Amino acid sequence: MVPNVEASTSNVSTRQDEPRSGSSSSLIKTSVLFLRVSASLALVAAVTFILFRLVSVNATTAGFLYLVAILLIATKGGLIESSVASVAAMLCFNFFFLPPVGTLTIAAPQNWVALFAFLATSLTASQLSVRAKRRTQEAVERRSEIEKLYSLSRALLLTDATGPDAKQIVQQITLTCEFPTVSLYVRKSGEIHSAGIVTPDLHAKLRESAVRSTLVRDESVDVIITPIRLGGEPIGSLAVSGGTFSDAALHSLLNLVAIGLERASAQKAVTRAEVARQSEELKSTLLDAIAHEFKTPLTSIKAVTTDLLAEQPSSLQAHHQELITIVDESTDRLSKLVTDAIQLARIEGGTFRLNLAVHFPSSLVNGALRQMKSMLEERPIYIAVPEDLPPVRVDAELIQIVITHLLDNALKYSPPSHPISIEASVSDDKVILRLRDQGQGIPEQEQSQVFEKFFRGRNERHLKGTGMGLSIAREIMRAHGEDIWLTSSPDEGSEFSFSLPIAPKGSVE
Amino acid sequence: MSGGRILAIDDDPQIRRALRATLTAHGYQVNDSRSGEEGLEEVRNATYDVVLLDMNMPGMGGMETCRLIRSGSDVVIIMLTVDNTERHKVDTLDAGADDYITKPFSMPELLARIRAALRRMPQLPSQSDLHSLTAQGVNIDLSSREVTVNGSTSRLTAREFDLLSYFLSRPNRTIAHRELLQAVWGPDYGDELEYLRVFVNRLRKKIEPDSSKPVFLVTDAWAGYRFHLPQ
Repeated sequence: MVPNVEASTSNVSTRQDEPRSGSSSSLIKTSVLFLRVSASLALVAAVTFILFRLVSVNATTAGFLYLVAILLIATKGGLIESSVASVAAMLCFNFFFLPPVGTLTIAAPQNWVALFAFLATSLTASQLSVRAKRRTQEAVERRSEIEKLYSLSRALLLTDATGPDAKQIVQQITLTCEFPTVSLYVRKSGEIHSAGIVTPDLHAKLRESAVRSTLVRDESVDVIITPIRLGGEPIGSLAVSGGTFSDAALHSLLNLVAIGLERASAQKAVTRAEVARQSEELKSTLLDAIAHEFKTPLTSIKAVTTDLLAEQPSSLQAHHQELITIVDESTDRLSKLVTDAIQLARIEGGTFRLNLAVHFPSSLVNGALRQMKSMLEERPIYIAVPEDLPPVRVDAELIQIVITHLLDNALKYSPPSHPISIEASVSDDKVILRLRDQGQGIPEQEQSQVFEKFFRGRNERHLKGTGMGLSIAREIMRAHGEDIWLTSSPDEGSEFSFSLPIAPKGSVE
Repeated sequence: MSGGRILAIDDDPQIRRALRATLTAHGYQVNDSRSGEEGLEEVRNATYDVVLLDMNMPGMGGMETCRLIRSGSDVVIIMLTVDNTERHKVDTLDAGADDYITKPFSMPELLARIRAALRRMPQLPSQSDLHSLTAQGVNIDLSSREVTVNGSTSRLTAREFDLLSYFLSRPNRTIAHRELLQAVWGPDYGDELEYLRVFVNRLRKKIEPDSSKPVFLVTDAWAGYRFHLPQ
């Protein structure tokens, strides 16, 4: 087997020689038929010679022996030979055995009956014999087709654990079904695998057959191209040439190929899913390890600094107090950096699942405020989140992360004496939460970038921050299928808003 | 100030050092263990008021250690954990912990939690105010902190007992989440709904004939919990 043999030259010559090759093949057929007819005539002549010259027999015996010869010819040859032989035998029978002998005339009327009975019997016998022969041949062909299909199905089923791919399917078809050319087009991957001699326009025809889901016959090169369907949907196409397969066998072959391709694609999907799951697990384990490794030393530092700073009245000298405060604040900053980086990696890596439940907007805001309590102590906060707002269906923990990042931002980017306001209202089937500061605002050209990872505004590079907070907030809102947006104008502060889906009526905790 | 005996179980020597130094300075008697196995042995051999247990340790992890300590002791367990997701917190409480604190934590916060854990409820009702429960095959013996349901007896931990006492002193009345948290855990608490969810479930497992269909400790959606005392 030679896969992908592009026989362009032979193709050209085939096309040029087309009329000649057509006539030469019919010439061969005609001469074979001529020989066979001659042979059957020769047999009739031989029988006549033996019966007339060598052994002397009566007309009845001669008629029966002619019939035997005709049956022999019908068994071995076709309808034409046996019919020609029947007519020749009838003429010989009449000429040599029916009186008056030596003429083609018949004296007695009963001999006319005998002659026509002979002709009718020999023609019917030839036809029956030929039909029986054809049936036998068909049965043999069907058996051979079934055997081939069986070995193909066995071969496809027994391929290694990863399942047969298109290339293996083509190889197996070539091996078991003995087609000179096999070409398989897989629509999903767009691949074409071939074995044998492939004409250049075959690829286009394969695609056309798959797309239009129609059967294409190319009589000139004896190729048949059929679409492969699975559940009515064309998943590819198969071209075979020179085959003797019946339509039913071809249909079964296509079904086998469809099942093989589907099995391969299912197997691939399973493998991909397994790889993805393992890499997700690895990522998750790695993130946990990093979180633990970073936070363990931070824990002992934080325990020490907070204890020293909590002492009332402090036994520390003023500059010691200042130095410990620096260590304490830096610890917080490093800790936040680690937390943000892990949050972002988890959210982006898809290693989290939404834990959706029904919550009141006010309890979400209160929860976030409680988490930020120590940072909000000296900041005026104006809250307008009515208790009677309808409950929303969200992952409370993640929404609180969004609120804390927005609060953190507002704290950083507005002067300490300026209040921060949190408001909520209902719009359509959403609760809109708005968080506004009275800072410098965000220049228009930067507004589209603030949700990008690691983006820091031009004027804020000196401020503490990781540049991940808004990016995390956006990813969390995206995971909920909701929006987060910014309205800001210079010197009037910034307002971040996001929407929360109202829980369907009747859902409780 | 003498607070009580604390066992710190953590595989990181620096954390053990920091905890010992600061907690001792605040008047507690502190011992430490390097692993879950060692800590478990220590809890069996000596009496402690509070166990500070690290979640992430090689060998027997914190969760398993917590389960094993709880199976044999009522000691207060506070978990030290890096993971602050709600699922993780609930798992921790389900394993029998009384409280948890996320690393890195501030020392005043840890001290507040230890104080809260050790504090017996000031508003704890006196025995005479309590409606003891003997109904539907359930018997709660408040003096021994034992509950008998259909013949099988289980013991309540200190926190479970406090929570049940609070319910029994206010039967047939919806008690808000916040009120329960502040009364039983202390004034610093109020939003830790997962504590209530887990502890109410634990109580249900001990006092309800069928904990999936509670007849005594019922949920009033969005409002709180109510102890239904059959008249």
